[in-house]
Amino acid sequence: MKLSKEECLETIYRAIDELNTTREDNEKIVQGNSTALYGPQSPMDSVDLVNLLLSIEETLEDDFDIHFTIANEKAMSLKNSPFRTVETLAAYIFESATE
Amino acid sequence: MYIDFLLATFNNNKNKDAIVWHDTLYSYEWLLNKTQHWLHTLPDLNIKPGKVVMIEADYSPNAIALLLALIEKQCVIVPITESVAHKKQEFIETSQAEFVITLSDSDEFACVQTNTAAKHAYFDALKQLAAPGLILFSSGSTGKSKAAVHDLAKLLEKFKVQRHALRAITFLLYDHIGGVNTLLYTLANAGCVITVSDRTPDTVLSTIDKYQADLLPTSPTFINLILISEAYKRFNLTSLKTVTYGTEPMPESTLLRFTQLFPHIKLLQTYGLSELGILRSKSKSSDSLWMKIGGEGFETRVTDDGILEIKAYSGMLGYLNAPSPYTDDGWFHTGDQVEVSGEYIKVLGRQSEIINVGGQKVYPAEIESVIMQLPWVAEAEVYSERNAILGNIVCAKLRLTAHDDVFDKRAIKAQLKAHCLTSLESFQIPAKLTFSDSEQYSPRFKKMRTL
Repeated sequence: MKLSKEECLETIYRAIDELNTTREDNEKIVQGNSTALYGPQSPMDSVDLVNLLLSIEETLEDDFDIHFTIANEKAMSLKNSPFRTVETLAAYIFESATE
Repeated sequence: MYIDFLLATFNNNKNKDAIVWHDTLYSYEWLLNKTQHWLHTLPDLNIKPGKVVMIEADYSPNAIALLLALIEKQCVIVPITESVAHKKQEFIETSQAEFVITLSDSDEFACVQTNTAAKHAYFDALKQLAAPGLILFSSGSTGKSKAAVHDLAKLLEKFKVQRHALRAITFLLYDHIGGVNTLLYTLANAGCVITVSDRTPDTVLSTIDKYQADLLPTSPTFINLILISEAYKRFNLTSLKTVTYGTEPMPESTLLRFTQLFPHIKLLQTYGLSELGILRSKSKSSDSLWMKIGGEGFETRVTDDGILEIKAYSGMLGYLNAPSPYTDDGWFHTGDQVEVSGEYIKVLGRQSEIINVGGQKVYPAEIESVIMQLPWVAEAEVYSERNAILGNIVCAKLRLTAHDDVFDKRAIKAQLKAHCLTSLESFQIPAKLTFSDSEQYSPRFKKMRTL
């Protein structure tokens, strides 16, 4: 199934929602293009990031029948990490899913 | 001479019940006579001292008498049960069995001589000592089973000290170190061996009720099955004084639920290995996982990286089909990760089962215990999956209690995570959940690690 850029973003937001259900009010992750996912600007640690990615994978599988591991070797070896912001991740998923 | 102390006990307790089998009682007089009968029959079957004899049986009266006679005749005994039927050929080959005796459901025997002439340095060592031997297979979940060779004369030593006569359920199998231990302990003290026709919670608990058993040696998995089946509501368990459990780590949640339901039952943790026998152990209390282990003939030490090592007088000679697992100074490396507090230890799990998440250790048993606190989870198996970011992640396979065909995966995941967060760190919480309707225990009522 083809995935649009908007759907990529929505999937990420949905995963952020899911992650936020178990976070304190002052630690909620803001839904926005420029929200930092991993790095010094981000409120998320590596475990949060992994949970976010797994939740995205689950939606891609259940709703779009797209099966792939987001945190794969290719993603890890890219010069510019796709895990910097919501926007870079959406672009990476869009590219990988439509390849 | 090896079973003289047992025969003397039988002789002094002729009128007492020795065995309950298929709803029939067998006295110590019967057992004494049957054992003598087998002592006379074995030479006719060409079974001589030093021969390797496999017995395929359960705890039938004949199987018990035969076992004792083979000990006396200094044979090397290889007990196997139906639970390993699919491995029988492999076990015959590995053990080099020269005779295979099968006892049918009606306790009739059949004896077949194989074309094997057993030859191994450990068999020679036993012959030189004129000692009976015992071969037990490790129930390793992966790879080929390892055959541990014991000097039975040494294993028998500890039973010469008189202890309480107990009416014990032989729940642990006839070919399991815990089963052999229960059997010998019970007979040595003129207790009663109460056999069960199957090992479902209802059958076991009804047998306890009917024959007033006071000891149930079992596994944490079976204790959990008792709880989730609610079989305890259907039978009277007031005779039951002690439940012992070993073989795998106990989920703390199961322990607490059990002690709340049965304050009159003493829960004792045991520590035993096919390779070493059963160590004497003392739990700090019924609701504690901390225990002191050791006793006469055992010494323990913990390596710098937290692995328990044991030196045992009655330890096996070695494996028939694997290199010696003993250290140069004679200690057995158990592979069990333990925590130490003064004289007490707590078993965290097998070293090989620890999940390393981004450099932090996760013990599956601990996570399973937290998940099992949820009333809608019947069973949980925690396992690891490779992950490019953290090295490994924690995953869980769940079997839910009664549920509709369609259930909301996301809602379940959210509830589970929220619950886990109350007592676990985020790296310990399963990142991935799968669901299955099949039961997760082995024929030995030990949690199966399939993933």
